[in-house]
Amino acid sequence: MRHDFIDRYSRIESPVHQLSTGFKVSAAIILILCTILLPIHSYGYFILISICLIGVSIISRIPAKYLLSRLIILEPFVLGVSILSLFQPKGEIIFVTILVKSSICLYTIILLTNTTPFSKILDWLKVIHIPSLFVTILALMYRYIFVLIDDAERMERARASRSFSTNKRQIWKIRAMMIGQIFIRSIERADRIYSAMRARGWK
Amino acid sequence: MSSAIEVKNLQYEYHDGTKALRGISFNIAEGECVGVIGPNGAGKSTLLLHLNGILPAASKVDQSVKVMGQEITNESRGIIHQMVGLLFQNPDDQLFCPTVFEDVAFGPQQFGKSPEDINQIVFDALEHVGLAGYEHRSPHHLSGGEKQRVCLAGVLACKPKVLVLDEPTKDLDPRGKRELKSLLQSIPSTKIIASHDLELIVELCPRTIVLDKGELIADGFTVDLLRNGELMLTHGLEIPHCLRHLHPHN
Amino acid sequence: MHIPDGFLDTKTIVATSILSVSALGISLHRLKKQILPHQIPLVGLAAAFVFVAQMLNFPVIGGTSGHIIGSVLAAVLLGPNAAILIMTTVLVVQCFLFADGGVLSLGANILNMGIIGTLVGYSIYRSLARLIPTDRGRLVAIAFASWCSTVLASIFCAGELVWSGIASWQIAFPAMANIHMLIGIGEALITTIVFTAILKTKPEFLHQSFTVNLSLTSREIIIYGAIVIMGLLIFVSPFISELPDGLETVAHQIGFDRNAVGQPLFPSPLADYQLPGMSIPAVATIFVGFIGAVIVFGGSFLLARFLIPNKK
Repeated sequence: MRHDFIDRYSRIESPVHQLSTGFKVSAAIILILCTILLPIHSYGYFILISICLIGVSIISRIPAKYLLSRLIILEPFVLGVSILSLFQPKGEIIFVTILVKSSICLYTIILLTNTTPFSKILDWLKVIHIPSLFVTILALMYRYIFVLIDDAERMERARASRSFSTNKRQIWKIRAMMIGQIFIRSIERADRIYSAMRARGWK
Repeated sequence: MSSAIEVKNLQYEYHDGTKALRGISFNIAEGECVGVIGPNGAGKSTLLLHLNGILPAASKVDQSVKVMGQEITNESRGIIHQMVGLLFQNPDDQLFCPTVFEDVAFGPQQFGKSPEDINQIVFDALEHVGLAGYEHRSPHHLSGGEKQRVCLAGVLACKPKVLVLDEPTKDLDPRGKRELKSLLQSIPSTKIIASHDLELIVELCPRTIVLDKGELIADGFTVDLLRNGELMLTHGLEIPHCLRHLHPHN
Repeated sequence: MHIPDGFLDTKTIVATSILSVSALGISLHRLKKQILPHQIPLVGLAAAFVFVAQMLNFPVIGGTSGHIIGSVLAAVLLGPNAAILIMTTVLVVQCFLFADGGVLSLGANILNMGIIGTLVGYSIYRSLARLIPTDRGRLVAIAFASWCSTVLASIFCAGELVWSGIASWQIAFPAMANIHMLIGIGEALITTIVFTAILKTKPEFLHQSFTVNLSLTSREIIIYGAIVIMGLLIFVSPFISELPDGLETVAHQIGFDRNAVGQPLFPSPLADYQLPGMSIPAVATIFVGFIGAVIVFGGSFLLARFLIPNKK
């Protein structure tokens, strides 16, 4: 399986990619904070920030089609929650406000994740003195997500090649059993990883 | 020549009572390259884990494992880890860091090297395995062969005196195997290779140890042992092709 | 249930972040002291496991599908301290790698799913499992705890949205709670089947000594309890304070209707339920919630019986 579908362009070369991680993360957070704090009638700001974001995307050399598709994939979550706001007085205004605000925030994060590999974010977390246990767990987790996804895909294929029914109840049971299997395998793998860590002098 | 590894009457029992090793003894001289073969469940992996001191130290009086003349005890374990580099079966288990650089640097970091030294060590190790420039890649973006070579770089970065490899060619395509073989040949240290890939053993190891059911069955010249059809068959092995052609009447 | 950025206002962001960071701080502090070296890769892999478990889709009605949250699963398998850490890392990766859930909403998302869902789910599991100390009892406890944790997390989510002023209680609470009472059934079913699968294939993995300290010290119980109560006070109590009014209205309506139309003395329960249900959805939701809880609790017994049948 290709594992770069999420942050496919995070490792390409561009002036944006070369910026320091700390700068990019702080910039993104400040931008999101401003977006949240500003009232809706500050149209100027929203237009300005959108132009800025588009500018950054162009400099980053990430295909616009890819960025937009990521935005569209994630937009339903935003829509789903914001619909709740329609059912109250002046709901339409709140609805539009939220939609604009969260789309800007979402696009900011998409840009951030696609210009900064996750391993760089991990390095940055170490630099800003996030407890080492937390960063270690996060790093191990990030590393093994992809291994476990591959594991799960292999199990799913093995199952599909042997079963012919697509009964919903069956699928539920099989998927749940699969989760159990993945857990058992992860625990066994954790043991082997521990051996490998010790073999290279860990504790 | 002094011996690099000295194993005396090594026994090991798992928690559930299965005996994995039943009194194994052998000596390996410095600079030797020894193959360890045997059917599944023969105790190969267990033996290799003992050589690096991962499994609990010998509890019985008459058994011992010595590396470069130093016995493995709870105190000496740290030094043993550094002296014996262990390459595990599954590269995914061994590559536990988010980037190649961090993974290769893991060992030297644990052994207290300075950041400048570590940079140099990592650079050298990656160059040695032919992966210079891979520092910032993530393990999940590598091919099977590349992963295996990064693992090897991680082990080499610890500068081990003895290299212990568990199924190094498993899951490798022919090209990956060829590359790994020549890579291993270029490393001068003492090597112990456990594998089902008998062609690899024939090519790399002049001497071979045969294990079955936790016992040492045979210890001798690789070509002699692997050509012995009866020995091979009774222990779930077979004469490799490259040796069969030498003796068409066998 | 991942809240994106742009929904929460500053006070909600600050409040949820403070609560989350303090709970996470305690869990890290405790783990750092108690974790054994071999448990570090274990917790890392468990976090990856929860992440992947969340990616597996279960078909629901039509073309839609859902997935589990896994907070109770993590808490039952590895203890509440480790579970808080695990759920937090899962949410952090989802945020920074998948852009799922906002950066500034991270505090709220961690509070809902990682802390409230975990702690409340775990305490329900622990107390029920102690009442019925059998494997079947554990399944009942897991099923009920999963359901409660999902529903409560959704109520917190609704509370945060209301506090931020983007929705009213009357809409957000019934919408979130009612949907998640159904979703919670899925969570309960899956969590229980997963647990049974582990129980049947590798029971030694569920052995006490293997997991990362399951029990909490009394000091932790007090601090965690305080965090949960603070959360309840801030995000759920505004609704409770509105409740008497709502109930009064309902009672008034029922009474009024009876008197006026002269309905039979024992009206069918359905009619009773429908009437307030139409007028005050939030109050109706509470009724549904109680009935739902009873049904789920009963269902948990049936499920446990089904998963661990009597030996003949």
